[in-house]
Amino acid sequence: MQPQTRNHLAFLDRALLNLLEERARLLADEALEVPANLEDLLLRASGDFSPHALSSVFEAIQAGCCANNGGAQ
Amino acid sequence: MILRLWPGTSEARAAAISEMLEVEGVRTSRSPELNRPIIATLDKVDASLVRRIEELAELESIVHPEGEWRRVDRSFRDGPSVISLGGVPVGGGSVVVIAGPCSVENAKQLDDAARCAQRAGAHVLRGGAFKPRTSPYAFQGLGREGLFLLKEAGLRYGMPIISEIMDAGHLSAFLDHDVDCLQIGARNMQNFTLLKTVATARRPVLLKRGLSATIKEWLQSAEYLAAHGCDDVILCERGIRTFEPATRNTLDLTVLPLLQQWSHLPIMVDPSHAAGIPGLIPPLARAALAAGADGLAVEVHASPEYAKSDGGQALLPGELAGLVADARVYAAVGGRHLAEQLVQPAQQS
Repeated sequence: MQPQTRNHLAFLDRALLNLLEERARLLADEALEVPANLEDLLLRASGDFSPHALSSVFEAIQAGCCANNGGAQ
Repeated sequence: MILRLWPGTSEARAAAISEMLEVEGVRTSRSPELNRPIIATLDKVDASLVRRIEELAELESIVHPEGEWRRVDRSFRDGPSVISLGGVPVGGGSVVVIAGPCSVENAKQLDDAARCAQRAGAHVLRGGAFKPRTSPYAFQGLGREGLFLLKEAGLRYGMPIISEIMDAGHLSAFLDHDVDCLQIGARNMQNFTLLKTVATARRPVLLKRGLSATIKEWLQSAEYLAAHGCDDVILCERGIRTFEPATRNTLDLTVLPLLQQWSHLPIMVDPSHAAGIPGLIPPLARAALAAGADGLAVEVHASPEYAKSDGGQALLPGELAGLVADARVYAAVGGRHLAEQLVQPAQQS
């Protein structure tokens, strides 16, 4: 992998991490997690990221946010 | 110049260094920084005294600010300032949205705007009670009654309030109505008498950039406030006058990275006055946050077509909600976060 590509990936990963943490922060005081609208997200997806993986990623994101607010569902 | 002493330097040694300078006729100012002593010299320091300072074991570095300011210089603090705007932290990674109508017109209009602002996720309620209008025949604001209505709405929706003060003689009215943050408008940025008076109120001040002010002139005005007792200054870029007539003003985003180098003060951006066109406000707001703005100040009106001032640049409530949602994303991508509202809409009775 080119060093430049590696750098870009590192920046993207950090941005993703920041967004995930903000999502968890937003839900920190909520009793109920609002499920991600997967149908809408899949419609918006261009296909570069596999739709199957996308579903799995968002399930994991929701689980991570729930873990932070005591596992409320 | 600004003398940054090593962390851990005793208070006694810092005081002795200040005294050494004062004895030589150089007035000094101490930073409120707790982590280390920082001393600013307010008068010219001659070469022989500079040499004595350079020999001090406690000296870590000497910084020469880019202009004739000291207290607002970046080196006068160890990090960016975080200012409490009625309990809402501004700066240091906490991003804030100020929203409200250009003018307080009546109780219903303000209540509508405040409710919309709070539901959209804004943190601070703005509203003009004393209006600086270009035309003497235009609506000049409700004055004291406007401040009363603004405070009432702020309390109702759990939002600190901010309003523009145009005249030093009005300060008691602002304090009587417990206005959380005093705004110095663009036209008064270099009204030094007003700045000196407002500084004595010991309230946070939002200092807008003058229509044709350079960045150095702007920071110099901030220094006036700091020198007279107000360290809690928030800068606000609102566009400058250029040759371009397509927009009301030209939003100068270069100030954001530059001022982060020059000053520790938080910097907000007012895209409403910069653009004057509602459709341009959301992209300019996103650009401002991407460039490091500590917050946004925008105008919102439930019925802009009936607004008595600047209705043409006000966002609709739904547009404000979109802007706040964008602000959360752009702040997060940059490793910052949207401040918590003091009162969440759901908690409101």
